[in-house]
Amino acid sequence: MRVDLYNLMMNRRSVLKGTSALAAATATGTLTAAPQAASAADDLRAQILAIPGVGKGQPTDADWQKVGAMCLDATKASVKEGEFKGVELSFLGLNNQNVHNVLFRGLSKAWADYTGAKINWIDLAQSDYNARLQQSIATGTVDFDIAEMGAPFEGDVCGKGLASVMPDWVAKQIDMDDYVGYLKAPVGTWEGKTYRVSCDGDCHNFNYRSDVFADKGLADEWAKAGNKTPWGVPTTWQQVQAVTLFLKGKKLDGKDLYGYLDPTKGWGGFAFYFLGSRATAYAKHPDDKAFLFDIDTMKPRVNNPAWVRAIQDVLDALPSEPADQLNADPGTTGFQQFLAGTGTMLSWWGDIGSNVNTNDSSTIQGKTAFSILPGSDDVYNSKAGKWETLASGPNFAPNMAYIGWGIYVMARVDADPVKQKAAWSLAAHLGGKDISLWCSAYPSGFQPYRQSHFNTKEWVGAGYDEAFITSYLKSEADSYNHPNAAIEPRIPGIFQYYSGAEDILAQIYAGKMKAQEGADAIAAAWDKLTDQLGRENQIKLYKASLGV
Amino acid sequence: MALAARVNADRDAVSALVSDQRRILGRTVVRAALLGFALLLLMQILFELNNFPFGFPTWLPILVAYGLWGVALCAGSILQHGEAGWRALFVLPAILFTVALVIFPTFFGLYIAFTDWNLSSVDGRKFNGLANFYQLIQDPYFWNALGNMVFYVVSVLVQYAIAFGLALLLNADIKGRKFFRVSFLLPFMLSPVAVSWMIGKSMLEYRYGPIPRLARALGWDNPNLLGDERFAKFTVAAMDAWVWIPFMMILLLAGLQALSKEIQEAAKVDGATGWQSFWQITFPLMLPVSLTAIVLRVIFQLKLADIVINTTSGGPGGATDTISSFIFREYRDRSNVGYGTMIAEVYLVLIIIFITLLLKFTSRYMQKTT
Repeated sequence: MRVDLYNLMMNRRSVLKGTSALAAATATGTLTAAPQAASAADDLRAQILAIPGVGKGQPTDADWQKVGAMCLDATKASVKEGEFKGVELSFLGLNNQNVHNVLFRGLSKAWADYTGAKINWIDLAQSDYNARLQQSIATGTVDFDIAEMGAPFEGDVCGKGLASVMPDWVAKQIDMDDYVGYLKAPVGTWEGKTYRVSCDGDCHNFNYRSDVFADKGLADEWAKAGNKTPWGVPTTWQQVQAVTLFLKGKKLDGKDLYGYLDPTKGWGGFAFYFLGSRATAYAKHPDDKAFLFDIDTMKPRVNNPAWVRAIQDVLDALPSEPADQLNADPGTTGFQQFLAGTGTMLSWWGDIGSNVNTNDSSTIQGKTAFSILPGSDDVYNSKAGKWETLASGPNFAPNMAYIGWGIYVMARVDADPVKQKAAWSLAAHLGGKDISLWCSAYPSGFQPYRQSHFNTKEWVGAGYDEAFITSYLKSEADSYNHPNAAIEPRIPGIFQYYSGAEDILAQIYAGKMKAQEGADAIAAAWDKLTDQLGRENQIKLYKASLGV
Repeated sequence: MALAARVNADRDAVSALVSDQRRILGRTVVRAALLGFALLLLMQILFELNNFPFGFPTWLPILVAYGLWGVALCAGSILQHGEAGWRALFVLPAILFTVALVIFPTFFGLYIAFTDWNLSSVDGRKFNGLANFYQLIQDPYFWNALGNMVFYVVSVLVQYAIAFGLALLLNADIKGRKFFRVSFLLPFMLSPVAVSWMIGKSMLEYRYGPIPRLARALGWDNPNLLGDERFAKFTVAAMDAWVWIPFMMILLLAGLQALSKEIQEAAKVDGATGWQSFWQITFPLMLPVSLTAIVLRVIFQLKLADIVINTTSGGPGGATDTISSFIFREYRDRSNVGYGTMIAEVYLVLIIIFITLLLKFTSRYMQKTT
């Protein structure tokens, strides 16, 4: 259906709905405005979630345009039609297939048509993104008005005064109180000022194949192999290792089974998060906010026994993983392996959950479930320098990897009030409450990040299986709300640390270095980088980012 | 010497046709433009060094000023020298362009190489002498990549042998010769980035790619062509060869077509076999073209990066890394501009030395054989 016809139909439907509501109110003599408004909002959320409908194929550009058009009311309340005519905005973001900027184009078309503004898109590949942004920041050549950016860059951007401070009307329009706790200040703020419209809330969760863990034959073989615990979903990394080694050489429905999937190939720094997900349960002690560096000195912890154990786990698991694992980056493990049916367990961002039933290349519908990242029977206390077993049981520490994408308006628009308003209006539109629900439910590169996203009924209404979506949303909510969540430092150059580590990890995984030897090399490289970037400043920013 | 003197005399004669007034005007334009540009440049340098209160937020106006100075220089040259000035216009813009885009960046790069410049550093750029060079000497990733480059350069000889074979085939009187000539050139028309995606990411994909599937059907259980250290380097070299063999082939084919048929026919009349004819006539006569093709190809090969970056990121475990892909990671992923530039400058020097020696060696070899 053409978008304009669809819009016309929707408008007629709204008019009819409004007319009948008014008639009903007149007839009863009571005007119950608030419940009706709430009901209309619920209707809108249900309507957008039905585009195109879960299990009805992957959303297309026409779907994105429809959703964008239907979520325009908040913009209309604060902007007059054609108010931004003649304004041009450049928007820097990722060009991953069918997500991020590609999706934003469709979602913002109605906004651009209504306001009269023109948007110029600067598309970057994921692996080029960090470098391009870093270069613009360092050389003072910020050539974009709006950036899709992760919180780890706030130190670089907001700390250098390159971002525009969020006006109050934007905070109201996007309902920031609805954000989950960990995305509220200090995330998105710098020196008490707010800069970020969140459009994502990142954490790694644990994705697993429910059919594998429900298989009777495998359960029997597991017991025969002398395992004392029953066959089931691992809750600790120790169990993940045992299952991974056990599944080597096993088959299900005639297909080779593999246990956990480790991405071992660099991904512009992003692959380091995956070692982090294995390490946080070992390295993030509940009594200590830090897990990557010592807070007072920035001394790297990456070569302490906790991190070395995580690296050793990868080395021990690799022979039981698919043969091409040494050339698998996170994109490969998530989309070419796990979604396509290879591998039983995977740590990834929430994209896996939102793609299982909505991505055309997924083959694991009805076979997937989720939990928070596994824990560990013991945890390393970096301050005491020893392993500890907690009285409360295994230590869990979900990895809040990247702290989510946000939309940031650059300070260069501040000189022109109209352009500034246009930029913030677009950011508010793309980070709006309703549009974000749709982005969480369909492939978008974003995952749930608002309290209002955790209403299971809305997802079921869109066509999600209740058990599936309950499992998915619970894994996300439990990660966000976990008291021992591992939150990465928002310090300048954080991706340089990660990228440098990726090179050395590749050597370790290829068997050219021992785990401890490699970890020491990473620590030495990180120490050198900290000195290069300015140790005192890094310590100050690290403390600020941890709120200590 | 005599020729140079005559050219100078001609120029003086042409210049003599220009009136004094016009010559003075030309000189004034050139000097004023030079002075203006120099003052602007000095002001911006002092401003950047915090020694002057006025300046531009970026260097773009200086670039524009350079362009305007170039225009004034050309105009002044015409005013001063008349016809000779017009002649100078044939090369002057090219020289100014080369200075701006090649010579200046090379020397500026040399300066950057001796600085500690990380884009995230709060202190910005700092001169650090030879520290980057010492770091490079101790950097195992650099030496690993350099070792891999030796392999990739040696693989050019294999490419040469295949290219020669194809060139001989296409030079023979075969059916569909024109079709094959165009077909064999097609890989060269493709971007190496496209090839790395089409072949490296799709056809060689471990699970679904047609090549691993064929290999499995033929009994090879684990055709892990890019994930196994033992094969990855050869696979990258093969993809690279697929792109570049046509380039060598077309050079060699041109050489073969330029060979005199009479010598080969005379050999045939004297009873030489095909093999004897190739080794004793065709191959020696083709040596100048062969060496040119190899040297050109080696120069290209030393810059190998795109296929590696796209398919393996230098892995597994650095097995496929090249100096260019290492520089790319150091600069792009780690924003380590100073050190990345030092690697690039050292590599440039190494390439210049290597190519100079190669040319010297080939030149001596050619003298011997002729």
